[in-house]
Amino acid sequence: MIGSSPVEKPVLATGIVKRYGRRTVLDHVSLAVEPGITGLVGPNGAGKSTLVKAILGLVRLAEGSVAVFGLDPRREPHRVRREVGVVPEDECAVPGLSGVEMVRYAARLSGIPGIESLRRAHEVLDWCDAGQERYRPVETLSVGMRQKISFAAAIVHDPRMVILDEPTNGLDPIERRAMLGRLTTLARDHGKTILVSTHVLPDVQSICERVIVLAGGRVRLSGSIRQLTHPAVPEEQLEVIGPVDELVGRLVARGIPARRAVALDLRAAVAGSATEGTVLLQVNSPEALAAMWAEVGALGVRVRSLKSSRRPFEEVFLEALRSTDAPPTEPLHAAP
Amino acid sequence: MPLHDVGYRPWQGQRSGSLAAIMVIATTGIRLAWTSRWLRRAVFFAWSPALVFAGSFFVFEQAVDEGRLGSIRDSARVGRNVDGVGILGRAIADALGSTDEPPADPHEGPEAETNRTRRAVWSRLMLAFMRSPQAILLSLVVGLVAPALVSRDLRAKAWLIYFTRPIGKLEYVGGKLLILALLVASITMLPALALWVAGVAVSPSLWVAVTTWDLPLRIVVASVALAIPTVFMALAYSSLTAESRIASFAWFATWAACWIAHASLTTADAVRAANEQMIEGSTETSPRIRDSGTVFSVEDGPVRSRRGNVRPGGPQRPLADEFLDLVEGRSPQRRSPLDVRRFRWLSRATGIDNTIDRWAWISPYHALGVIQAWVFGIEKRWEAILPPLLSLSIVSIVSAVVLWWRVDSPARV
Repeated sequence: MIGSSPVEKPVLATGIVKRYGRRTVLDHVSLAVEPGITGLVGPNGAGKSTLVKAILGLVRLAEGSVAVFGLDPRREPHRVRREVGVVPEDECAVPGLSGVEMVRYAARLSGIPGIESLRRAHEVLDWCDAGQERYRPVETLSVGMRQKISFAAAIVHDPRMVILDEPTNGLDPIERRAMLGRLTTLARDHGKTILVSTHVLPDVQSICERVIVLAGGRVRLSGSIRQLTHPAVPEEQLEVIGPVDELVGRLVARGIPARRAVALDLRAAVAGSATEGTVLLQVNSPEALAAMWAEVGALGVRVRSLKSSRRPFEEVFLEALRSTDAPPTEPLHAAP
Repeated sequence: MPLHDVGYRPWQGQRSGSLAAIMVIATTGIRLAWTSRWLRRAVFFAWSPALVFAGSFFVFEQAVDEGRLGSIRDSARVGRNVDGVGILGRAIADALGSTDEPPADPHEGPEAETNRTRRAVWSRLMLAFMRSPQAILLSLVVGLVAPALVSRDLRAKAWLIYFTRPIGKLEYVGGKLLILALLVASITMLPALALWVAGVAVSPSLWVAVTTWDLPLRIVVASVALAIPTVFMALAYSSLTAESRIASFAWFATWAACWIAHASLTTADAVRAANEQMIEGSTETSPRIRDSGTVFSVEDGPVRSRRGNVRPGGPQRPLADEFLDLVEGRSPQRRSPLDVRRFRWLSRATGIDNTIDRWAWISPYHALGVIQAWVFGIEKRWEAILPPLLSLSIVSIVSAVVLWWRVDSPARV
């Protein structure tokens, strides 16, 4: 069950269906977005942008309902949008305005009056390290700078929730880390709800507390990152150089549950390397551990590392996509 | 780095209502539009006709002050052009001539008669000002600004900025309409009101403001009548494309094509009417036409209106005959073809040419002219007013529907 009152949920979608003609883009999607940072991931055409539009009340739903902080976006779009800031994926600007004018314009459209909007725009741009570039026309700015301006425009009216579509697009590694740091600060220090729609899975794993995987218009997976990447049974992760498959066979023959991990390293996956890889195994007793080392020694396998297993989020994501034909999971529940 | 980085701070001020967003969109839009050098030139140029008309107001009031109104009226009554009262003398003369009808009060004094004449003259001058130079300049100014207003937002995806904020279509469309409405007001209503103020200032008494109190109201209504269809149509075009060039082309093409269509249809009407006249009353036509036995053509001059409208009063007299009348001091027909030919645009603009333009509804410029004549109380015939009124209403409504449907269309897909 969802922990807090539905009124307090930043987003609560129940059985929403959206069709464009005959194409169903959202197919009975039910989900909840909790305070904190939530990642919304999925392949292209999964329905992420339509879900964001539904949250903002921009599209009419065929079925179901969405509540944003307890408000219906279709009936009270103004109140909902006052509580939400959006950083769209597409570059958008009012040509002719400078960066600071753009942010001020966004502030004034959000109801911040007169000179206060200018003060607030500068304050937020300072926090985003916009520098003197803010005085240049938006259309002449670099992609990274435009991203900063978009982000500043999204948070200038101090919304309770910020929705970001590919927020690290076009940012260099330093700026990317800074952007992720800002998102963490907003969520941790200011209690904002952040919904990040992205394809960059390491970003999701590094900052998100929860994740929703959308594919084919359905929620394929949802839950806390910790929960999803935690294996159902405690496992050890043995990274080796040598005959991996033979090692797995011998371990199984000795009664040690073992399997080869899915290769996430593209080079290894492409090469289909038989002499390098990771073995996931359950070592429940000192005897089993001794047997494992014995087999490693017997085969002359070199051990790179041995650590407690945590599934990479990328693996979780790919598994979720592979199970596209399976029935969708239940709505996201609070992390344990 | 800022000198004093305060970090991210919550904001807890009083927010203005969503209707304030209309003003924000309008003021920002005007500021951006005003950066165009061509727009600044056009608006500046749009005020220049007011100077010419102000001269006519001054000359008329000077004539009133010097007691020359009677002699001017006499000249007008015999059909002479009143060249002594400025370049718009014909408008003044016609207005004076139109006061032939007896006053409502038979004991009306000279002051009351002067006031009645002043109202007639001022109304016609205002109509001429609003209808002829300003309506044309309006199409130019709107054509410079409007095409980019929505199409640029579509191209730059600025709709994402608007529709993710606490504003809706009403505020967005309202803001864009206000940009154009303010620009239209700046080149129609404001100069016309300034003209009225100038007229009062140069008149012998400030009481003239009281006797012409309704003119400012009529100016405002005429400006609104000008603005509504033009602004809606221009924005509808802009919303239909992401390329402002295309919207701009469509805007100017509409005005030009409708004008040409109007001219063609009225000319065709005139040729047909003239042929019918020739067949029915060949004895009254000029010997040249009668002897040649040919039908009228477009070049046949005074026997028809150049615009092709059917003129009342039966067959027209040849130009030479009317000219001789004038030279020899005979009183020719008022509003003779001679006058209409010499002052064609003015006679149209001021409502002197009082034939019903049955194709006015087809051209925005001509339709707007009829509606303005109605607003200024010069055109009172419903058969003349209704078709343009319906035409402009339909254009406005269809444009508004298209605009409403299109402005947030990218958000729906």
